[in-house]
Amino acid sequence: MDTKKKGFGLLAKQRAAGWAFLTPATLLIFIMSFYPMVQAFIMSLKTGSSANMQWGNPITYNYARMFQDKLFQRSIGNTFLYLIIEVPIMLIFAVLLAQLLNEKHLRFKGIFRTCVFLPCATSLVSYALIFKSLFATQGLINTVLVQLGIFSENYNFLGTPASAKAVIIIALIWRWTGYNMVFYLAGLQNIEYSVYEAAKIDGATGWKTFWYVTVPLLKPVIVMTFIMSINGTLQLFDESVNLTKGGPANTTITMSHYIYNNSFDGVANFGYACAMSFVVFIMVAILAAINMKVGDTRD
Amino acid sequence: MKRKVVSVLLAGAMVASLTACGGSGSSASATTAATGSDAAATTAGDSAATTAGDSAATQTADVASEDEHTLSVYAWDKNFNIPALQAAEADYKKNVDPDFKLNIIEQSQSSDVETAITTAASAGDFSTLPDIVLFQDHYIQNFVANYPDAWKDLSAADIDWSDFGAEKLSYSTINDVHYGVPVDNGTVIFAYRTDLLEQAGYSIKDVTGITWDKWIEIGSDVYDKTGKYLLSMDGDGNDLPYMMLQAEGKSQFDENGDPVLTGEDVKAVVDVIVRAQQANALYLANDWSDYTDQTIVGDMVAGVMNGNWIIPTIEQVAENSGKWEITTMPTLKGGEGYASNGGSSLYVTANCKNVDLANDFLAKTFGAGSTETYDEALTKGGVITCSTKAGSSEVYNQGVEYFNNQPIYSTIVEYGTHVPVVKQSDYHYTAREQLAAAIQNILGGADIDSSLKDAQDQLMFAMGK
Repeated sequence: MDTKKKGFGLLAKQRAAGWAFLTPATLLIFIMSFYPMVQAFIMSLKTGSSANMQWGNPITYNYARMFQDKLFQRSIGNTFLYLIIEVPIMLIFAVLLAQLLNEKHLRFKGIFRTCVFLPCATSLVSYALIFKSLFATQGLINTVLVQLGIFSENYNFLGTPASAKAVIIIALIWRWTGYNMVFYLAGLQNIEYSVYEAAKIDGATGWKTFWYVTVPLLKPVIVMTFIMSINGTLQLFDESVNLTKGGPANTTITMSHYIYNNSFDGVANFGYACAMSFVVFIMVAILAAINMKVGDTRD
Repeated sequence: MKRKVVSVLLAGAMVASLTACGGSGSSASATTAATGSDAAATTAGDSAATTAGDSAATQTADVASEDEHTLSVYAWDKNFNIPALQAAEADYKKNVDPDFKLNIIEQSQSSDVETAITTAASAGDFSTLPDIVLFQDHYIQNFVANYPDAWKDLSAADIDWSDFGAEKLSYSTINDVHYGVPVDNGTVIFAYRTDLLEQAGYSIKDVTGITWDKWIEIGSDVYDKTGKYLLSMDGDGNDLPYMMLQAEGKSQFDENGDPVLTGEDVKAVVDVIVRAQQANALYLANDWSDYTDQTIVGDMVAGVMNGNWIIPTIEQVAENSGKWEITTMPTLKGGEGYASNGGSSLYVTANCKNVDLANDFLAKTFGAGSTETYDEALTKGGVITCSTKAGSSEVYNQGVEYFNNQPIYSTIVEYGTHVPVVKQSDYHYTAREQLAAAIQNILGGADIDSSLKDAQDQLMFAMGK
């Protein structure tokens, strides 16, 4: 009886310690993240100039407005185009690179890993500006292609809608592949070497080992990188702003960029910007939920 | 051990995605914060303004001056408008108040000033603003319409407004109330390389007072003979349509402030731009930095047309000194065209505690056409005045070596008096962007009428009409 009581006391103490450790972070998340979200939702129901906002009439005015906004619809289209093309290419690259760099007998592994991860350490703005100058009409890529005789004259990469989108996708792949690779590397370290040995004994080829052993064991990491990439791509901002400024003629603008333009460019329309932010938020939530369901191994 | 590493990584990633989620939901500014961009200053200003709005206003530092001899001001260019403000400070100190001090708070770019105003006014807390702000003229219509409480009008200031060009004042005068004191002049010049014109068989007289059609012919000729474009512009911001319309006495808006992008005037101007580009008379760069760095500094052009603040950019190519001359713009039907693009003014904010001092300072320096202020502003910062009185000084009438000893400064002040007043709108920049997008679409092969209709619809949509 006595001992049982003591046990409860210890448990309660431990619980209290747990709560004490959790409280600061929880409070911060509430103040910095959840409270602004609620405020943003309230603001998304209002219209008018930011100094003098009125409730929308009807209350869903800003949300209804989106259905008529061709530019917002185009920005959704652009963002999803980046998402659909960029994320799979990037993740496949990342898995393959991780597999290569996880090779036991590879020399100078550290140097290679650093090289692949390094783009991730560059600032988003500076790398976007470097890509911009590389792909400028008088830039390095053009000079090289013209000198090699592949192009007859300088091509305006960033001034043509299709190539401007391609440049953004290339830039994204360059910037984020290494980042995802690090997660896969960490995941691969966690797979026991004996599993591979067993596969070898059973006569599995390299490809089969990769597909039937590595990928299933990496599944949780793959799901997580997918969610993060989807999330990141839906919020794409820097590349659109710094590489192309959304141009030419708004053909490369992303959702976040358009939201920013609505709040800080020209006449501020914070209510509408908040409403659009909420739609983006819901999209992220839905896509993440689907991803978690698909990646769920429990039956 | 390895398991631990993985779990730490996973936990970290979860936190990262969580906060990112919150970011997308919270607001546009939070999104920019999450992605960390050049908007860092914006976000900082925004969060400061938000805290101030939600809790006690005392939390944020008050940047307005308490001292009765001191004023604070936001400006952004230490090679341009900051020397002008320093000149005014020295002028006022010497002639009026020996204890006077002007606290110039430097911002990294003009849009930082505009964003600071938007955020302060949105939060309804002006304490983050200095006594006086300097910003681009096109913004004041929008700012007075949306944030009427943010400004102190200048009716108490003793300023002779007739000394300034009517067009310049048309921005900062709203319902006959003056809000701003003009600093620099945005009068448009068309500068030509006379040596290149000569090579193609033309002189500066041949390009003055002509029609745009004739100009395209000459431009095409100059390109064939010298390989240089007669004009370049930034394709995504595109200052051209606005300037060309103003030279015709027209605007992107009609008398009621409704957009007229599908109207005949806009169509005629867009048509000229498209034909000029196709005839290699005009080169449209992708953006502003390409426009200045590649086309002008990179010596791709035989002509530059823009607000006269473009002159320092032209002068960066030292070896072309003496080869340039300036003149007026072509027009649709022929005759000399005058327009204005850019330029800024000083505005007194609601946070100013010492309005009398601010009014007196502005009235006795920039507002009085003080030669001491403006001559120094011109020599130290290249700021050209809008004041007719200051523009007639000796310094203004000197020839400028880079421009073949033409007295360009007094010429520009003189041009400024001819600029027609056109309808202004708080949706100026939105209209300009939509028109630029339409031009890019047309150059990409789209139909002119439907592209302009799209631009008009998009603009009407943004205006909530």
